[in-house]
Amino acid sequence: MAKISDRSINLGSFIKREDDSIVICRCEEITKGEIREAIYAGMFTFQEVKKFLRTGMGLCQGQTCEKLVKNIIAEELNISPLETGAAKGRAPMRPIPMRILANDKEGS
Amino acid sequence: MASVNIKNKADIVIIGSGVIGNAAAYYLSKAGKKVIVLEKEDNIGDGGSTRNGGGVRQSGRHPAELKLAMYAVKNLWPNLSEELGEDVEYYQEGNLRLGKTKEHLKILEEIVESGKKGGLDLGMISGEEAREINPYLSDEVIGASWCPTDGHANPLKVTLSYYKKARELGARFITAQNVKRIGKVRGSARKVITKNGSVFEGDKIILAAGYGSRSIAQKIGIDIPMKQVLLEVLVTEPRPPMFYQMLGTAAADFYGHQSKHGSFVFGGTSGMDAYAVEDENNPTLSKTAPSICRGIIKYFPVLQDLNIIRTWGGYIDDCTDHIPVISNVEEVPGLIIACAFSGHGFGISPAVGLLLSEMALEKKTTLDIKPFHYDRFKTKI
Amino acid sequence: MKRYDLIVIGAGPAGLSAAVEAAKRGLEAAVFDENDKPGGQLFKQIHKFFGSKEHKAKIRGYNIGKELLRNADELGVKIILNAEVVGLYPFKEVVVNIDKKVLHYRADTIVASTGASEKMITFPGWTLPGVIGAGAAQTMMNIHGVKPGEKILMLGSGNVGLVVTYQLLQAGIEVAAVVDASPQIGGYGVHAAKVARTKVPFYTSHTIVRAQGEKSVESAVIAEVDENWNIIEGTEQSFNVDTICLSVGLSPMSKLFSMAGCELEEVPAKGGMVPVCDKYGETSVSGIYAAGDVSGIEEASSAMIEGRIAGTAAAHKLGYIGEKEFLAEVKLQRESLESLRQGMFAPENKGKVFTETEEGYQISGSLLEKGYIDCKEIDEYPGVKSKEGIHPVIECTQNIPCNPCQDSCPNDCIVVGEITSLPEYKRSEECSGCGLCVASCPGQAVFLINNDIENNYSYITIPYEFSPLPSDGDLGTALDRSGKELCEAEIVEVKSIKAFDNTHLLTMKVPLEYSKEARFFKAKEE
Repeated sequence: MAKISDRSINLGSFIKREDDSIVICRCEEITKGEIREAIYAGMFTFQEVKKFLRTGMGLCQGQTCEKLVKNIIAEELNISPLETGAAKGRAPMRPIPMRILANDKEGS
Repeated sequence: MASVNIKNKADIVIIGSGVIGNAAAYYLSKAGKKVIVLEKEDNIGDGGSTRNGGGVRQSGRHPAELKLAMYAVKNLWPNLSEELGEDVEYYQEGNLRLGKTKEHLKILEEIVESGKKGGLDLGMISGEEAREINPYLSDEVIGASWCPTDGHANPLKVTLSYYKKARELGARFITAQNVKRIGKVRGSARKVITKNGSVFEGDKIILAAGYGSRSIAQKIGIDIPMKQVLLEVLVTEPRPPMFYQMLGTAAADFYGHQSKHGSFVFGGTSGMDAYAVEDENNPTLSKTAPSICRGIIKYFPVLQDLNIIRTWGGYIDDCTDHIPVISNVEEVPGLIIACAFSGHGFGISPAVGLLLSEMALEKKTTLDIKPFHYDRFKTKI
Repeated sequence: MKRYDLIVIGAGPAGLSAAVEAAKRGLEAAVFDENDKPGGQLFKQIHKFFGSKEHKAKIRGYNIGKELLRNADELGVKIILNAEVVGLYPFKEVVVNIDKKVLHYRADTIVASTGASEKMITFPGWTLPGVIGAGAAQTMMNIHGVKPGEKILMLGSGNVGLVVTYQLLQAGIEVAAVVDASPQIGGYGVHAAKVARTKVPFYTSHTIVRAQGEKSVESAVIAEVDENWNIIEGTEQSFNVDTICLSVGLSPMSKLFSMAGCELEEVPAKGGMVPVCDKYGETSVSGIYAAGDVSGIEEASSAMIEGRIAGTAAAHKLGYIGEKEFLAEVKLQRESLESLRQGMFAPENKGKVFTETEEGYQISGSLLEKGYIDCKEIDEYPGVKSKEGIHPVIECTQNIPCNPCQDSCPNDCIVVGEITSLPEYKRSEECSGCGLCVASCPGQAVFLINNDIENNYSYITIPYEFSPLPSDGDLGTALDRSGKELCEAEIVEVKSIKAFDNTHLLTMKVPLEYSKEARFFKAKEE
């Protein structure tokens, strides 16, 4: 199973499913249905779904939902979750108040 | 050269699926043209288009570029969500460019002067007036420029919604297509050859690959004098709506806005970014986000306890004269170049997309594109 | 800028081991950890570890943690707590938020041992309060002394699910069932058996359908699945539980490597996205190493060895030790690591189902499906032999790398040999009935039987780690391997010596006919 680079493949029309109301990204409260719909709109990679819907952009930075989202993309496109790309690690690794980051110093 | 698979032939081949390429693809598809868009990365819109502060700003632009921005703000941005069938989170609630010192005010006055000359509704306001518009501003602000028709939008949504709509209209997007070169047929640019050996063919080729355009253009004998500069942005946790103006400063220590989502998106620089090591990883620098934070806190002390959730970096394609190249290449018929947006391409992207579609259709362009000619660069002496 | 020879990120078993090993060779090392206590997951691991002596087998996780901290302290390793790493920037710069002060440090080498987080699965109701990770439940109980719930459904029967289920029971929490979609239990049979004999039912080939409840979990509905994982209609059943624990795997927390520009790859057998490492744990960025779960989900024992290798490699890179010493040390550590990675549960065998052991013994189908060996099957195994007088019965029936039973026996009655082999009871040697094998078995699979003390009665000694501890003369019920009540039992001896390390030995007296069945004791309810 290889990733899909030609985005013109026809997925047919989006059909709602019973479990579409399940929340997948808890931080940003995004449901399975919204993710499926985004895939039908052409978002074929984790990054694209993330940028389109904000999945994985919340407080946990995708630590929980990244795998879940990838599995949904893989299922809809009939590819392996390994072929859906990954998010890049970004600072800060944990949320940090502006006031504290603003006051950075060299360690001694 | 091998013959081209019929599937890989189109009216127009666009290199780059950033906001410019996608907007052009949309307007061309809407005009009924067959379009192929080639993207180097695995993700659509992976470059500066989805790594920017989202300003839809007319103020502070070069007079030539101002015309594009004003046209877009008047004619394209207000209907964009409706047109693309997605909320692109466009807010037209003005732009405040803030000053804290007399030197700052001088810079702002020059900006105001230049904008007014171009017919923009732009003026100087006092610190108090600025605080009436935005009550969260610190008392250190002594004046500002104010452009009520400026605003911001969500660059991720804009870039991907143009893609989505163009795709719906039949444009064929292909990722992981690293373009090796553009090939000529009987004197005109017609073919696009990728590193994986695919060949695409179009009557027109639009090169809109950000800084990546440079090496591709070089291979067909054109060099655009631009360099890559790292820019960083930080995103905070969401807060209930506080203000929707686009913000900037005379000192250029930060810019940004509160998004529809509630998070604040602030960009800025530590002064070292322009000389950062080039890296595909789009790294951030250890000292930039703290520097942006210090900038923000001086103007908005009320935001100091907000958590930063994420920082990210992206490269802009900074042109030697800081305005873009949007140009037919007469010496290479069939080739259109759109790059070197110098960090302010997002706000004008709908207008540029429209212009590119007109250029590719060989129609008279709605706006004057002469100032953006690829061959305009002159020595200083 | 202050520069350390080595900065370790994460003070868990891997990170501490790396720091200790590096400091031993003279490196100036600092360890940052975001928690207020060091040790990573070690301090919530109240169970005894598997392996052999070199792997700290039969020692409880928290004691291993204490020893590591002592070593680190003696060697002058700086362990800095409440230190959240903000990012790992180019040129090995670590920015860290220590007690709300952001500091920049540089290091010549970095070992990131940031561990893993729990995977989740989704089902209607999965976001209800009361659906938690099994690891979270373990933290609540064993670190914070808080019961995660009163009645729990455990989803997932891997080792984490089984160990946590057992610990929930120890905390006095009722476990309604252990559910796994796979047709076989995923973790060690001995872990499952510890749980099954307390009467917790296993539902293999079952999955959760939904969690129900108004404001929090009030019940869980499960159903049987066919071989294609589809729910079989009409098999739904509901459990009234207030908590659902998910134990469906761990996912490496490798974002820091991604930020640092290290090459990553998705390896399902390792749990997800992991940095690409050479055999010393070095990533594609020279001088940045990965060790522990972040480089592939395994046990704490292997994490410690990986940490030692990375720490030694850092020492070599910076010229604190020569090539010869480096290679010799790494060889030793790799051998130790390889011995842990053997047997049926080796990382390379993930997902494989074995029907027989290396020696050719049949694996109990009942054990794989229901968590306990059927009485009819038990006599087949080399550890189970009858003999006059007191003797051990070792119900260890899968090839796992572990041998404390052999090591603990002063009379050489028990032979394991190759570390993954099934233990064999040698009838020719005399068993003194000391009980060290019973207490040392991390799987609590060793029992002492004596059918020759009293006519028509069997004296059965079992490992016991529940409270309250019964006393001599207490009456109760003997349970079989499935938790079924067999007969009345009387406690005739309770042994709790220091060498047993809190595994108490209960000797119960049952009618002789139950000698081969009675394996657990339930005290009379007051």
